[in-house]
Amino acid sequence: MTKYTYYPGCTLYTKARSLDLCARKAAEKVGFQLVEMPSWNCCGAIYNATSDDLAAQVGPVRNLAKASQLGSTLVTLCAACHNVLKRVQNRLDQPGNEVESERLKTFVDEKYERPVKVLHYLEVLKNEIGWDKVKEKVTKPLGKLKVASYYGCLMVRPKEVLSFDDPENPKVMDDLMRVLGAEPTRFDFKAECCGGYLVVNRRDVAKGASQKILDNAKAWGADAVVTTCPLCQYNLDKLRALTDGALPVFYFTQLLGIAVGLGQDELGLEHNSGDPVGFLKSKGLL
Amino acid sequence: MANDESQVSGPGPGPQSPIVNPQSSIPRVGVFVCHCGINIAGVVKIPELLARDGVMPGVAVTKDYKYCCSDPGQEMIRDSIKTDKLDRVIVACCSPTLHETTFRNACAEAGLNPYQCEIANIREQCAWVTEDRDKATDKATDIIRTTKAKVENDLPLEAITVPINKRALVVGAGIAGIQAALDIANAGYEVVLVEKEPSIGGHMAQLSETFPTLDCSQCILTPRTVETGRHPKIKLMTYSELDSVSGYVGNFKVKIRQKARYVDFKTCTGCGICLEKCPGRNESWFERGLVRGKAIYRLLPQAVPNKPVIDAKSCIYLTKGKCGNCAKVCPTGAIHYDDTDKFVEEEVGAIVLATGYQLFDAAKLGSYGVGLVPDVIDGLAFERLLSASGPTSGDVKRPSDGKVPKKIVFVQCAGSRDSTNGMPYCSKICCMYTAKQAILYKHRVHDGQATICYIDVRTPGKGFEEFYKRATDDGIQYLRGKVSKIFRQGDKVMVWAADTLAGRKVELEADMVVLATAVIANPDGVALARRLKAQIDTHGFMTEAHPKLRPVETLTAGFFLAGCGQGPKDIPETVAQASAAAAKVLAMFGNTRLTHSPTTAQVDEEICVGCGYCERTCAYEAVKVDPAKNKAVVNAALCEGCGACAVACPSGAMTHKNATKKAIFQMADAF
Repeated sequence: MTKYTYYPGCTLYTKARSLDLCARKAAEKVGFQLVEMPSWNCCGAIYNATSDDLAAQVGPVRNLAKASQLGSTLVTLCAACHNVLKRVQNRLDQPGNEVESERLKTFVDEKYERPVKVLHYLEVLKNEIGWDKVKEKVTKPLGKLKVASYYGCLMVRPKEVLSFDDPENPKVMDDLMRVLGAEPTRFDFKAECCGGYLVVNRRDVAKGASQKILDNAKAWGADAVVTTCPLCQYNLDKLRALTDGALPVFYFTQLLGIAVGLGQDELGLEHNSGDPVGFLKSKGLL
Repeated sequence: MANDESQVSGPGPGPQSPIVNPQSSIPRVGVFVCHCGINIAGVVKIPELLARDGVMPGVAVTKDYKYCCSDPGQEMIRDSIKTDKLDRVIVACCSPTLHETTFRNACAEAGLNPYQCEIANIREQCAWVTEDRDKATDKATDIIRTTKAKVENDLPLEAITVPINKRALVVGAGIAGIQAALDIANAGYEVVLVEKEPSIGGHMAQLSETFPTLDCSQCILTPRTVETGRHPKIKLMTYSELDSVSGYVGNFKVKIRQKARYVDFKTCTGCGICLEKCPGRNESWFERGLVRGKAIYRLLPQAVPNKPVIDAKSCIYLTKGKCGNCAKVCPTGAIHYDDTDKFVEEEVGAIVLATGYQLFDAAKLGSYGVGLVPDVIDGLAFERLLSASGPTSGDVKRPSDGKVPKKIVFVQCAGSRDSTNGMPYCSKICCMYTAKQAILYKHRVHDGQATICYIDVRTPGKGFEEFYKRATDDGIQYLRGKVSKIFRQGDKVMVWAADTLAGRKVELEADMVVLATAVIANPDGVALARRLKAQIDTHGFMTEAHPKLRPVETLTAGFFLAGCGQGPKDIPETVAQASAAAAKVLAMFGNTRLTHSPTTAQVDEEICVGCGYCERTCAYEAVKVDPAKNKAVVNAALCEGCGACAVACPSGAMTHKNATKKAIFQMADAF
């Protein structure tokens, strides 16, 4: 079984526990293993937008250096961690950026031994394992559950660096849902903003943004929404808790887990708001 | 400025009299240094340069002049050849692509063989790219010295002349190809006109009315298509594609693939009964997917030729072996299901490439909802909705439910001026056709509201700005800002845009959205250009020989350009360019023979062992190994003189006339 160095990040140990647990267990069902990197630190959370931001890159550089000692790939799951680590890795390894790269490396004790390829879990499924192999492992097809795949802003932008999917119309989660036996629905707001951290101080803005996303998914006939970002999940799911009849919001790993035969207690459904168990039962998935 | 007042100087400040070499076998070289105003003289220190050259052995005379290309400048060279008894000339000036011919002709007039005149390019390769004046002067000296080594080795050559086959091939029968074909044919020369679609007219046949005069596109196009179809000098080959070209300017051999039509055009009368009885369904590109066509089809009622073809992919008989309705009802027995592709060979002297454009696939603009929202269509689809011969007979009805849209948002620059989608260029026609479409929409739907989201409105054409004014006067709303997202909400189409003049985001509710999608080079044309080794730019548009001065020629002699295959352009410009291409072909046909540079490859048969390296290296199929003699043979008419074979030849049998190994080594030694 292929082993991948795995970087969970802080949220996956707290609010987004279900994203993490399902991912690890589902991986083993699909045929690869996530080996958690020892003593990882903060990813740097949200890529620093200023031009002179070297210091802000040091955290991620340490993670990448540690990963480089363990292998040449690093698998991530949280969309924010993925975005930060991938972009810092790009800065480290980009031709023509050697001076800055060397400066960054001098800040950390760990030696950056080789270029590390930062892969999102979805990239592993799509490009390393392959959809055909994933499909073979599906024991419980999702029974034409109509799923709207919601990617948010961080997964596929900026295009130049996170280039594994179309930033305006990403498709990788839709493809996965199809492989799992669900029916990906058309959806206009795949990559619109969920409100992000505005949920902290401008709850109304975040609520409005999330509302548009869920309404649109519902208008297209979706039964549920899937996401890979803990913050998106939080915003959408929180809103759902406040609104009657809003769609349930799952992590894609939860639906993957169901399809490859994880038990109900392994899905972390207690973290979802409302009655996810009732919903899944009504669809014949539990 | 050096030597400003002395327009014609004698030998520079070096030796005061020209060096006369008593040995007549040693060439007498004259060096003429052009100031090119300040282009060269402002950087290269010409007096110093002349002093250096003056002491160079073998240089008989050096002169400089402010503009050597002027009449007095040429006269100076001609006089010097006579009075100084020169037998070699170097003009140190601009690139040989500009004035080599000028100076070689001047030398020829003075009795010198023109191929013993060489250009030392000290402008583009020295003055323009070197800041330091001393370095530039050194570099210019080196360039002149190396050129001197070459010119001393130059042999007198005679230009090769070849006969011209005065027949033209025109590829593509849109308005560009039609115009070029008619112009050439009306001058009395035969034209083979090849069109990949079943009938001619191209995109212009799809259009409703044309800006800025609003004349009906069909009405102005069909006289041309009819004339083309009936012209005794035009051999029309529709549903055909140019496969390959061999030969050279004046004498091309072309192979044309005539696609299987399953309809015999000789016996078909064009009655159209088959069209009524066909149950097959075909995605109609002509109707932009608004309606489905039949498997046996013609593009439009005024089609030239007015005969249908069968689309093999959607024909029930050809795919499943059942049906056969068309054959049953055809009164003349013109349907032949066993038809196959045929290859036809033609011989022509010139080729006009008029391969046209396509619209960018807007589904690739992920946020514009194309494919997701049925009421988001592109400009050509809207033309079909406006057209009297279109699927709605000219009534504006939206695709989803056939309702008359009361609000339409037109989106400009959908893909154009957007480097993230690989099209940083302006598609040029969209500002005007969008204004036209909005005006026509308002004519059809009086209470309709048209909003145009634009980045800039560009109206550089005769009557264009006035037409734009008319659009705004008609109550069409112009919103300056790019559209970020288009999606469906209920039965409405929502458009997120910006109003940058008011500095706010806007959400527009529309019944229908029309995208002015980017114009791209026709992919079939791009593939053809690659096969023909015709130059294309990074976007697939064919490249003209010179962007300003040779706009319809290509760098491959005998290939000419017309229409949108060379870049986005509107109908008047396309027609003008097509006539220009035709004029170039006719200018060529006005000669009895064509001249070809004699600086070609040549084989020393004593040395050649027939290994064939040269044949494999040659990009022009000019070198072949003669199996009888087992020696390489050069077809001088095909040879472009690139020298690749001479480099590849392991034995040194292959050389390049006037660029022999000896000359090149001496040029290197001259540094």
